[in-house]
Amino acid sequence: MQLREKRKSKHAIPTSAMGDVAFLILIFFLTATVFTKDKGLKMLLPEKAEQEDIVQVKPENIVMIMINPAGAIRIKAAGEEKDLSPHEYGEIKRIVEERLLERDTLLVVSLRASKEAPYKNMVNVLDQIKLCRVTAPDGRELRANKISLIPTSEE
Amino acid sequence: MRKSIIRRATKSTDIPTASTADIAFLLILFFMVTTVFRATTLRLTLKLPEAESTERILIRRNVSYVFVDHERKIYIDDNVISGELIAAKMAPKIWDNPELITILNVDETVNYGTVDLVLDQLKEAKAFKITFATEFGRL
Repeated sequence: MQLREKRKSKHAIPTSAMGDVAFLILIFFLTATVFTKDKGLKMLLPEKAEQEDIVQVKPENIVMIMINPAGAIRIKAAGEEKDLSPHEYGEIKRIVEERLLERDTLLVVSLRASKEAPYKNMVNVLDQIKLCRVTAPDGRELRANKISLIPTSEE
Repeated sequence: MRKSIIRRATKSTDIPTASTADIAFLLILFFMVTTVFRATTLRLTLKLPEAESTERILIRRNVSYVFVDHERKIYIDDNVISGELIAAKMAPKIWDNPELITILNVDETVNYGTVDLVLDQLKEAKAFKITFATEFGRL
């Protein structure tokens, strides 16, 4: 009888601080969360070229994409010229990928946008070049990394 | 008679505080849901071009911004700046932090000549790491 009485203690986990703990966690995450608001197309600009720095690129290694003031595109690759309407951006990707597979890392994409051309069209073309991705026969992934931005004026 | 009055006054008059946490939670959630953050700087309305290959920029410390609005006004550090002074403004920043990434927030209607001017100035300031700010989107 006596033993039983002794062992009658309450076993309860205190729950009154639960709200405080939840608050603490909430406030911690509120302050620690970082939203990434910056997004875009990364580019690395070249140094300002001196006369002796200029490198000659063989014409067969160049894909030239021209944008006129109206936003129309002309693409020149492997001696062929092709006019594209402003809605045929997919074609740019196809041609650049085709050349990339052939010329490998030597390929240079020259983006010649007219100074009068809308920035939007230039970004759309740049986007297509950035999307290019082909697998070389030896398994390497090839991308069009060499992009040169050259402004053109009408005169 | 008097006795009964005294007895009534000794009743416990505690305000129940057990649910204050719940109320505070409710308020927090309410304000979290209803708060709208201002997306762009005041009076600067930009429509960024859309691009499929848009990447998130995870670095937040080494970042500097250049804005060009539809009127071709160029803004750096909340100030309107003329095109030729960009290099002078950016050079000290690059000097402080050569890893600085310049994010170009340019309205999609701006002509490429203006963008080229900015790029040229950035090259002069040796700010070679740049990003053309774009929105996620498909053509």
